[in-house]
Amino acid sequence: MSNKPRKMTLEKKHNLTGWAFLAPAIFLIAVFSFWPMIKALVLSFQTGKGTNMQMAGFTNYIRMFQDDVFIQSIKNTFFYFILQVPIMLAVALVLACILNKKDLRFKGFFRTMIFLPCTTSLVAYSIIFRSLFANNGLVNYVLVNFGILDKPYNFLTQPFAAKMVIILALLWRWTGYNMVFFLSGLQNIEYSVYEAAKIDGASAIQTFFKITVPLLKPTILLTAIMSTNGTLQLFDESINLTDGGPANASISMSHYIYNLCFKYVPNFGYAAAMSFFILLLVAVLAFIQMRVGDKRD
Amino acid sequence: MRKKIVAILLIATMAMGIAACGGSGDKKDDNTITVWCWDKTFNIFAMEEAAKIYQEDHQDVKIDIVEVGDVDVQSRLTTAGTSGDLSTLPDIFLMQDHAFQKNVLSYPDVFTEISEKKIDFSEFASGKTDFSVVDGKHYGVPFDNGAAIACYRTDILQEAGMTLEDFTDITWDEWVEKGKVVLEKTGKPLLTTTAGECDLLTMMLQSAGASLFNEDGTTNIAKNDTLKKVIDTYCKMKDSGVLQEVNNWDEYTGSMLDSEVVGVINGCWIMGTIQTAEDQPGKWAITNIPKLTNVKGATNYSNIGGSSWAISGNCGNVELAEDFLASTFAGSTELYDNILSCGAIATWTPAGDSDAYAVPNEFFSGDAVFKKIVDYSTKVPSIITGPYFHEARDAISVATTNITNGADLEEELKKAEDTVNFNMGQ
Repeated sequence: MSNKPRKMTLEKKHNLTGWAFLAPAIFLIAVFSFWPMIKALVLSFQTGKGTNMQMAGFTNYIRMFQDDVFIQSIKNTFFYFILQVPIMLAVALVLACILNKKDLRFKGFFRTMIFLPCTTSLVAYSIIFRSLFANNGLVNYVLVNFGILDKPYNFLTQPFAAKMVIILALLWRWTGYNMVFFLSGLQNIEYSVYEAAKIDGASAIQTFFKITVPLLKPTILLTAIMSTNGTLQLFDESINLTDGGPANASISMSHYIYNLCFKYVPNFGYAAAMSFFILLLVAVLAFIQMRVGDKRD
Repeated sequence: MRKKIVAILLIATMAMGIAACGGSGDKKDDNTITVWCWDKTFNIFAMEEAAKIYQEDHQDVKIDIVEVGDVDVQSRLTTAGTSGDLSTLPDIFLMQDHAFQKNVLSYPDVFTEISEKKIDFSEFASGKTDFSVVDGKHYGVPFDNGAAIACYRTDILQEAGMTLEDFTDITWDEWVEKGKVVLEKTGKPLLTTTAGECDLLTMMLQSAGASLFNEDGTTNIAKNDTLKKVIDTYCKMKDSGVLQEVNNWDEYTGSMLDSEVVGVINGCWIMGTIQTAEDQPGKWAITNIPKLTNVKGATNYSNIGGSSWAISGNCGNVELAEDFLASTFAGSTELYDNILSCGAIATWTPAGDSDAYAVPNEFFSGDAVFKKIVDYSTKVPSIITGPYFHEARDAISVATTNITNGADLEEELKKAEDTVNFNMGQ
């Protein structure tokens, strides 16, 4: 033991080189990502106006459940997510299956068209939807001219209609995005599996539910988690399309957090606490989805 | 060998990059005043004119104007205030009046008190200076006027057999009645407003000198009789069809420029927008706004919007900055004459006596509108805005939206007060 050579073993040397290459990235992530997270966690236990903060324990976390506007925003966000995510994933899956057909013509063209909404900026498309559904917007123009409505319906001042407009906008923007994931998932399914099913006399619906869906499960899980995550952090649509209105009926959690920081007398501690609550929600929902989606045992 | 050269070059660039990040800019020059403001045709134009006037007597002073949007001013203040690093701030910046109190209280270091010895604040309309006074100390020099005006299309009123006189010095009840006649005869509502935004409500409230807060800072919503009257009047206006609700600013300006409605009630800065309707010169005329019926202290005058100049906590030469503001925005009729062309109307009373203000305006039916507005602004009742003004405004607009959809007034106002109290108790 005592005459152990001072030189490092080859393995140690390799490891050390590896760490040396990783070090800059780790350093940057730690400083710009983890350190702010820790600071935010500390901040979430403080309270005060602007820069005058004192420690306050769990007050912020208790306070948010007494906050009617925050509870309203949670309800809104859940409404969006429960309605929008399943519809979007179902539509995306069906579209992907259609576009995956071997004998379909102009496949590339259709794929591009459906994916294109994804390349628009969040703010720009929100504003376009706002003007589409305005009193004198295209939708009302069509409805009135086809005799479906007598006079323009003000979508954005009705609580339910305003929420539906946001859901519609989200569907338009994100369906193509998820479709691309499904398409790539479908490419990985052997065509021979379908052929075998065909020979056994399975109908199109049977092949869809018995082959496509089970084999796509990992992709469905991935898209479900991503969409849930995205919807819980909904911000641009809420602030640009409806401005949270009418009477906070469409405000999202992130929009309310923004208001608390920049519109109202800033209360960063309280806002940070809410952000951690969203983090918790995302984690819990992702956990549930993984449990439900993953039946391997 | 080649690899080594490439590596050395890469390291050198990175090192330079880091060095550049660490550099703290050049040393502050005591004779340069840096200013942040927004809107090229309005605030920046006014500041440029002010710089010209000041430099006539002070050739060694440089005024460096940087265009920063109003939302960006807010986020930069927030960043500087929370980090405690004020070195990023300019010497003077423009601040929206309704955000002034909130920012002074949240980030006291960001502002510098402006000495009353240098600037005679009594020469400004008190309804305006109150926005930037915290604990009796002045933090802002008032700039543009937000006196409320009512603009009507006289050609449409004529179709209904009415004149501007019929809408001058009236009450809201009379206004609704006359509006019904106009609606019946021309099919056009008198006014549009943005749904869920309570500019109109706060304007009506201020016209009677009523505030959403008491002197001691506590909320005054649930038992505020003037507010109840205001919301009541608003419902009447909406139910009768005389007031049309739209969803956003674009629709709002669109409705008035496309002759969809007969009039506009807003701060006088709206004149700039109205004048973009090139096909309507001579068809618009300006008068005062209606007043609340049977309310003590009700007037035909109010205020909405506007901004003030603040001296930052990073100002290297406060004396120079004060002197600059004192001899321009708080002391030069020449400046206010020069900037009248862009629609910037003074809140500094002596400017109103200038001849430029008495010149008739062809667009607005040949009336001396600027003189009129300066006169209005001196009669605006003063109110208490407080730091929680935005919270209160939002709560009131939520309540009003619910009330117009049939909810109970007392209950909604109680809820609104609870919401604001909740926001205040941290």
